[in-house]
Amino acid sequence: MTWRIRIVVAGIAAFITLAPAAAVAQPSPANAEESRLWLVAGGAFAALRGDCQTCEEDYPYRKGGGVLVNGGYRVNARMDVGGEVFWIPVDTTEGRIRTTHWDAVAQFRPWASKGFFLKGGAGMAYVRNWVDVLGQQSVNSKALSVVVGTGWEFRTTRRIGLQIFGSQHVGALGDLQTADAEIPDVVGNFWSVGAGVVIR
Amino acid sequence: MACAAIAGLPLESACTPSGDRVNQARNAAVLTWQRWHRGCVIGNRAIRQVKTDSLRLLLVVSAALLGSASPVLARPAPQASEEQGQLLSLRPTLDLAGYATEAPEAGAGQGGGNPASNQSAFNWAAEGRSCEGCPPRSLGRALFQSTVINVVYGLSNLMRGHDTAKVTPKTWWGNMQQGWVWDLNDFPVNQVGHPYQGNNYFTAGRANGLSFYESAAVAAFGSATWEFFGETSDPSLNDFINTTLGGIALGEMFHRVGWLIRNTHATGSGRLWSEIGAMAVDPLTGYNRFRTGDASRVHEKPADMVPPTLGGSASLGALWRGEENGSIDAAEGQAFLEMDLLYGATQTGHSRTPYDAFAVKLRFGGGSAFSEARVRGRLLGQPYSSDKLQFSVLQTYDYQNNNAYATGSQSFDAALGVTQPLSDRLGLWVLGWGGLTILSAVDSIPLGVPTEECGGASGTEHATGPRCYDYGPGGNFGVVAQFSRDQRVFTGFFYEGRHLYSLDGVRANHFLQRARADLLLPLHGALGVGTSVEYFDRHTFYQDAARSERRFHYPQVRAYFTWRLE
Repeated sequence: MTWRIRIVVAGIAAFITLAPAAAVAQPSPANAEESRLWLVAGGAFAALRGDCQTCEEDYPYRKGGGVLVNGGYRVNARMDVGGEVFWIPVDTTEGRIRTTHWDAVAQFRPWASKGFFLKGGAGMAYVRNWVDVLGQQSVNSKALSVVVGTGWEFRTTRRIGLQIFGSQHVGALGDLQTADAEIPDVVGNFWSVGAGVVIR
Repeated sequence: MACAAIAGLPLESACTPSGDRVNQARNAAVLTWQRWHRGCVIGNRAIRQVKTDSLRLLLVVSAALLGSASPVLARPAPQASEEQGQLLSLRPTLDLAGYATEAPEAGAGQGGGNPASNQSAFNWAAEGRSCEGCPPRSLGRALFQSTVINVVYGLSNLMRGHDTAKVTPKTWWGNMQQGWVWDLNDFPVNQVGHPYQGNNYFTAGRANGLSFYESAAVAAFGSATWEFFGETSDPSLNDFINTTLGGIALGEMFHRVGWLIRNTHATGSGRLWSEIGAMAVDPLTGYNRFRTGDASRVHEKPADMVPPTLGGSASLGALWRGEENGSIDAAEGQAFLEMDLLYGATQTGHSRTPYDAFAVKLRFGGGSAFSEARVRGRLLGQPYSSDKLQFSVLQTYDYQNNNAYATGSQSFDAALGVTQPLSDRLGLWVLGWGGLTILSAVDSIPLGVPTEECGGASGTEHATGPRCYDYGPGGNFGVVAQFSRDQRVFTGFFYEGRHLYSLDGVRANHFLQRARADLLLPLHGALGVGTSVEYFDRHTFYQDAARSERRFHYPQVRAYFTWRLE
């Protein structure tokens, strides 16, 4: 177990310990006295898989830990807008694939008094050493990033809370020139489940 | 007794005690309509006559939609007040668009009036409405109806024999494992079909009392569920973006146009036809209004659905477009019909209500049956310098597809406008903008692929390509200048540049430019004549080893009669 996995496990364990109390004491997210700014920091288990439009090879799923930070402005009781950074390093036998997603996001709470939320956004992703199975050469690329996700926010105090989330990031890289060949229309999908601390 | 039963409560018990003859007559009409749409009038004999697959599908869908109505029909009105009060206490500071953010206490000037004073007529607040003419708020029904929309599209594809419609839990799981990909479908399918489908999801939110931004989330929900569960083909990233963003732009436009068509003060056949006409452009809102009985109830329109100004024009004429890199001399004339709509004060005004001002351009003919669509809506507006300067944030849906070129995009822009009177009668308006293109498409034939092989991928069947257009994000900028005399535009200049970095298709940077000059002369009353000169240019920088470049340009001249609508 790597140090990142340990951190994620510790975070989730802390969340599981605190969540029941948080659920009981959950105040309305729309409290008029609270700040309109919000910040979330946490970790996630992530699985990633690269693929391309015409590839016949069945590329493997790779698993690892990730770090997520997002924050922004609460527009109203149901809507937050802001930015998100999601960093996913994955170790492979040939090296490490590091992907960073920078997205503008909007969070929507269908029920203003509940913690359930839906999230969507778009931005850019930066990928280093992308999909080593394609070749030994290091590949760095920018990509179009899109994220969709959902989760639940539990509030322990008026300003501090915990959040569990599941999300799917996609990084569309375009064509990749490797040492062996050009790989057309490469797309990476990143699935993640995690938890974070919320400050409002 | 109040006739609140129109929204679905038992009519006989709720309305019969009323001594008001007008109300009684209205109740009778509503009762007939409600019976009709509940199926009472259809009867078993008619049902037995249903033989075709299409009608069976219609019945299944109708049953599902009617099923969604049952929670409303059974909902007791009085208990809603406490929850409604809680909801209202969460009123946002920003004046976001939508029914859900309009508080009843502010409804006096919004066509709704004070709920207490209106209690005797129609207790709209108790039904979860934000104003008298607003639909009852129900997030659950919005999500359910967007799912039903997916079922309808899926069944129609199945009836047309599409392999992609044969979904099973196994294909759902396979799609979730696969993740997003780019698809290979036709340009019109991806750039018009999917945005239209997204418009259905979005209006499902608006039809159930959700705000603009809440309905945007419903559009994303419907789009994502369609991509993962509605087809056997892998979930398409470009479809998700086009369906969601295009659906928002088209959906709010259609929703507001539907409210323009509706005459909520009319009764009888005139009212019925106005509701049917509105239903044609916004089917979900129309259906829900028939379902709840709002379609027959006389009421004020929601205040934010009544634009302060409205203008437009229809133009009929011919255009001549030069061939690729050629002159216009040999071009053949092509007939076209163009319609423009200006909704709200697009050039001025403080606004936090999305799409309270928007512009629409639709063109039929002129190179293809449906050759151009552009919807540009204001998300927020802020005037400066006594309304001379106007800052706006805009959302734009753009589509052009003719026999020479094809482009489409979903973008967000920041714009700065200047209004400058030149004399008592002459005025100048200049608008400059720049922004991000989330996803853009441009026709681009893969190197080595014959032109005739393009466009073979049809509809939602498994498309195998080649797909002869590129997808990617980018940026855009532009400027428009209009001179007017007595508030009537007589000449204008337009320029737009767009950059597309291709992520899917031929790896290239595309730079598109379009410039146009218009001259309009009044003939008699609203009738005028006009001519336009346009130039479209595409400069492509390929990312191949040779770093090759190609340039395409198409000149165009138009002559037309125009009818000004105000």
